[in-house]
Amino acid sequence: MKMENMSLSGLDNTKLEALAQDIYSDLVEDACLGLCFEVHRAVKQGYFFLDDTDQESMKDFEIVDQPGVDIFGQVYNQWKNKECVCPNCNRSIAASRFAPHLEKCLGMGRNSSRIANRRIASSNNTNNKSESDQEDNDDVNDNDWSYGSEKKAKKRKSDKNPNSPRRSKSLKHKNGELSSSVNTDPYKYNYNTGINYETLGPDELRSLLTTQCGVISEHTKKMCTRSQRCPQHTDQQRRAVRVFLLGLSATSLPDSNTAVESDGYDASDGQVLMSRLQWDGSSDISPSDSASSKASTNNSDSKKPKKKKKTSLNSTGGGGGGSGSVGGSSSQGCLAGQANRKKPKLPVPPAPSIYDNLN
Amino acid sequence: TKYIVPAGCPHVNGFKVDNWKQNLRVIYQCFVWSGSVESRKRKAKSCICHLCGAHLNRLHSCLYCVFFGCFTKKHIHEHAKNKRHNLAIDLLYGGIYCFVCQDYIYDKDMEQIAKEEQRKTLRSALVDCFVSCGLCDAGVGEKYSTWEPTKRELELLRHNPKRRRITTNCTIGLRGLINLGNTCFMNCIVQALTHTPLLRDFFLSDRHKCEMQSNSCLVCEMSQLFQEFYSGHRSPHIPFRLLHLVWTHARHLAGYEQQDAHEFLIAALDVLHRHCKDDNGKKANNPNNCSCIIDQIFTGGLQSDVTCQVCHGVSTTIDPFWDISLDLPGSSTPFWPLSPGGDGSTLNGESHLSGATTLTDCLRRFTRPEHLGSSAKIKCSGCHSYQESTKQLTMKKLPIVACFHLKRFEHSAKLRRKITTYVSFPLELDMTPFMASSKESRMNGQYQQSVDVFNNDNKYSLFAVVNHQGTLESGHYTTFIRQHKDQWFKCDDAIITKASIKDVLDSEGYLLFYHKQFLEYE
Repeated sequence: MKMENMSLSGLDNTKLEALAQDIYSDLVEDACLGLCFEVHRAVKQGYFFLDDTDQESMKDFEIVDQPGVDIFGQVYNQWKNKECVCPNCNRSIAASRFAPHLEKCLGMGRNSSRIANRRIASSNNTNNKSESDQEDNDDVNDNDWSYGSEKKAKKRKSDKNPNSPRRSKSLKHKNGELSSSVNTDPYKYNYNTGINYETLGPDELRSLLTTQCGVISEHTKKMCTRSQRCPQHTDQQRRAVRVFLLGLSATSLPDSNTAVESDGYDASDGQVLMSRLQWDGSSDISPSDSASSKASTNNSDSKKPKKKKKTSLNSTGGGGGGSGSVGGSSSQGCLAGQANRKKPKLPVPPAPSIYDNLN
Repeated sequence: TKYIVPAGCPHVNGFKVDNWKQNLRVIYQCFVWSGSVESRKRKAKSCICHLCGAHLNRLHSCLYCVFFGCFTKKHIHEHAKNKRHNLAIDLLYGGIYCFVCQDYIYDKDMEQIAKEEQRKTLRSALVDCFVSCGLCDAGVGEKYSTWEPTKRELELLRHNPKRRRITTNCTIGLRGLINLGNTCFMNCIVQALTHTPLLRDFFLSDRHKCEMQSNSCLVCEMSQLFQEFYSGHRSPHIPFRLLHLVWTHARHLAGYEQQDAHEFLIAALDVLHRHCKDDNGKKANNPNNCSCIIDQIFTGGLQSDVTCQVCHGVSTTIDPFWDISLDLPGSSTPFWPLSPGGDGSTLNGESHLSGATTLTDCLRRFTRPEHLGSSAKIKCSGCHSYQESTKQLTMKKLPIVACFHLKRFEHSAKLRRKITTYVSFPLELDMTPFMASSKESRMNGQYQQSVDVFNNDNKYSLFAVVNHQGTLESGHYTTFIRQHKDQWFKCDDAIITKASIKDVLDSEGYLLFYHKQFLEYE
């Protein structure tokens, strides 16, 4: 049968059916041939045996679907005695209490800074005080995580000092604590025990307070060194500490609301949008800034606080300087009333005057 | 059976002389692989049996001269015998037949040439198609080839006959996770990640080459996690090393800070991304120049258009995202009710009968044009003054895995609460109405865009759902994950049980993970 061009228009249905049938059976035959070649090659290259599996042991892995047992056929809750070795201190810890242990071990717990200070103080006095003693005390104080201590913790909450670092976290969390005011900027996180304000002169304090939170911790008597967006403290606390440290002149200091990172107002956010870089590889924003949650308009305070950013007001929209990033990432300006920090809403100043101050 | 039949044969040596490689290439290009319309026509017209005129019947071409003969009627055999041309090539699949061995043979060099020519053909075929019809947006059509073990691998496999294939009824790949003390927020995310198909494939095929000096690489730990999940062990895994690494690298998460599953997901992706190197071996610090596996899978582009109400000038920015956070009715955000109907409402097969809010509703609200009001004027570069504007968000580029975060937890100055409004979400989701490109067509006057059934780019399938049970003060996270197409399992820390699709779809939903249905090979 020679290959030639053929017109389909003159053909009746029967002929068309026959043609279609021909094409179909050709295709099926070709497909079968392809499969034969695959198998043939597998045999010749020596990997055909891979298709064989061990049926017997397969039975051990069949999914179980019965009440009271999991898919492996195991009864629930038999894993109480699991242990693991802490990578930090190399002690053997019960698995279900590993998280609270690690919190202390890495020096991140609520009590840790207090204990650390105590340790430093006591090691200055007695050089032979062993560390392990302190560790044991830590465990005794460890009531953050045990389920039974909920009442105790709640009681403590009420007589907590408003200046303590844990102010904003007054609710006790159990397993699932829910997202609110976390600084999601891992690049910027600077966990240290703070600065002692008594050692600083007024000028130093003044300049410090322009960039840092500054709220004094009741426990450590030190100033918070996080940014002015620090989620641990409220703006009220920040104002209070400035008044306390700098007296009446505190009011002349840039308030965190009208400071460079004045992203509390819709207008300035618009500025940021206009001057931000195009995303062709040059955006400063990292996906970890959770761009969508900031971009979406919302008047609820349900998301994280803004990170520090500098806005440069560019009249050339779209291309120009854009928002500089501090610490490698900048937050996306959001056009909504970004009242997602825990602060009282301040009246919106007339737009042009803010921009004149910024820069 | 332990015999190994040699794949190649010595009779090809007579062929491999002079310019044989080029000759072979030409044969593959012209007579075997055809990608374009022209080449197919040429092949159809010229490739017919020289003896009987058949164009099928397993037509073969002689490798030594220009002769086509069919296999079925043994015309090619005749030629081989008469001319002592002992090699021929099957024009359909490109296999080489040796008449002395009387079998198809597999010669490494010749197969290499065959593969290269095929790749070239497929690439040019796609360009052809793109030029002529201008419709398809498909990536380069690389032919999928199955894994072939190396000699060493074959040896190892032969010595280990207790091989298990992961069938649909197999527990391998599923494993519980011990709760280390309120760490269910981490466990639920680990379950979602270990059941992300692309991520799983990346790690199980050992694609991470670590260049970190210390052993604090989170990607390595992730790799280890997959090994644990596919080890066949039935006792739950203790992810203490993972917790330690995440807390070391994402301090803001550690200890007394928030323990939110969504926070953990973003932080984990961030650390993984930082620890991955991109293809050039450079440290991937710039989130937009990275081609690490995290970015390949999770990073999408969110387009924000701000339109000046006076001059209608539009300022567009595109930002990368790993998740889409959606406001819900019942929150204090201005939202509801949405206008009924509109684009996308019937697209995803969600029922509006019960009046329940759907995921599509949330997405519609997310991408709606929004008038910013007179208190939020922006400086328009066109008007050189402050003007009112509207803002609209759309998806510029969709990630392979799209994570939707339903904002159920509200922390305002006045109240903290959990919004338990039921949001119905579909098993299959089409993101087309929310794309920037769809918005453009709408703006160009093409309203009521009919759904392009053949455009599969924006179709997604649900594969993991993270749920939070309880109140804001005390709660517990669990995850539903999908395994083997349509089987769902509930992961509750150490306990893994089978779940029904109904269980999944009836659940409240906090984090919803969708996977692109169709992937192009690059």
